[in-house]
Amino acid sequence: MVRGLLCVALLFVTVAAHADTWPDKDWAQGTALTGPAVDALTAYAFPTRDDATRQGIRTDALLVIRDGEVIYERYAAPTTASTPHLTWSISKSLMATVLGVAYGENRFKLSDPAARFYPPMKQHPKVTMADLLHWASGLDWQEDYEYAPLKSSVVAMLYTRGRADMAEFAADTEAAAAPGQAFRYSSGDSNILSATLKGMLGHKAYMSYPWDALFKPLGIHNATWETDADETFVASSYAYLTARDLARIGLLMARDGRWGAQQLLPEEWVAFNRQPFDNYKVGQDEAVPGGQWWLNREVQGAPRPWPDAPADTFAALGHWGQALFVMPDEHLVIVRYGDDRDGSYRHNELLKRVLAAVQP
Amino acid sequence: MIRRHPFISLFLLLLLALLGWVWHERVNLQAFPDIIAAYTAKEYCSCRYVQNYPAEYCLGYVKQYVPTSAFNDNPERSEVTASGLGRTHTARWMGDRQGCRLNP
Repeated sequence: MVRGLLCVALLFVTVAAHADTWPDKDWAQGTALTGPAVDALTAYAFPTRDDATRQGIRTDALLVIRDGEVIYERYAAPTTASTPHLTWSISKSLMATVLGVAYGENRFKLSDPAARFYPPMKQHPKVTMADLLHWASGLDWQEDYEYAPLKSSVVAMLYTRGRADMAEFAADTEAAAAPGQAFRYSSGDSNILSATLKGMLGHKAYMSYPWDALFKPLGIHNATWETDADETFVASSYAYLTARDLARIGLLMARDGRWGAQQLLPEEWVAFNRQPFDNYKVGQDEAVPGGQWWLNREVQGAPRPWPDAPADTFAALGHWGQALFVMPDEHLVIVRYGDDRDGSYRHNELLKRVLAAVQP
Repeated sequence: MIRRHPFISLFLLLLLALLGWVWHERVNLQAFPDIIAAYTAKEYCSCRYVQNYPAEYCLGYVKQYVPTSAFNDNPERSEVTASGLGRTHTARWMGDRQGCRLNP
């Protein structure tokens, strides 16, 4: 009798787990959105495009997934559904997700010093994995792409002095603060994380790990992740995915690290990604940093970064308007690729219009 | 000296300050001219061979305020070379997974 009940309960749990829709080879198509709010969304995201002046809002792709089904999808030429688009700093959140699988395999603890896996960090022996994930290594990093090219650590890392070995270039930066005490957004921290993963796995396993651990289980077949000359993945900047494939990462995060029947990321890892960094001060960046993800949370009494989006929204964000938004309570995943060269695009405006468009 | 040649004194002072700044920033200043050629070669390569955009679109995509003096895309070798500010850099497509990388 008890065994029978258990079987029924187990069956129920199994059925419930499979009631969710998951993308197989491709995404399921839901009922496409229609109506004036959808037109207003399209009008905002896809104004007439001028590739000569590159002015204004320049959305390359916009994809909205609800309950695991596509409900809005649009591209601006020459981007298509099969374009593996440059994600820029979304790569940081992707590396965090790859690290999440390694965390689930007990390859490291958040309190481990980075130097344990990456010897050049012996210059900064107290910097932990958690500090790097919070962009709080304390290293004196200058993150500025276009306005201060002479002093920019990022430009030097990607294109000049650092490009042969980006993690080492970052590790060679002087300390400006004690580790874990202050937020300072740093592409260097993200590339040091990439190098620690190499240290955990060894070079050969590392080279296929993002595919083996994350992309293949999610059914992502067209990912590119560029490396520096030392064959360390450029976790700060250079992952390329189609919009549909990036949405798979979003769905994984929306469902607390679960993919079908498999718990790919430990739930506690996703909880860490979504936990605001304690020592972040309001106004230091455009959104609230968690563990290599951005959160729409009220901190220190300041309003949410995107006031028109719910507080549980979290995101991976990149240069020139790249964004992956996850709204677990709304069952929404939004991918926006762009080529914004001026400041006219606003995440909040886009989210406001997406939320208006998905209202029943 | 200062009273008799106020302008020359000021000029020398400014020159000294400038030389001090150049010395202080010597590492950055030496690397700076590489940016435009390296950026153009690398990002064009990825635009063309990773994102598979048309060549014409990629030329616009990598355009900066500082012009390049020479540019060559070799599709047979998937290799892109750009020159600007007196420096030349080449990026090459390594494969589907690893995309493009600047040559050392």
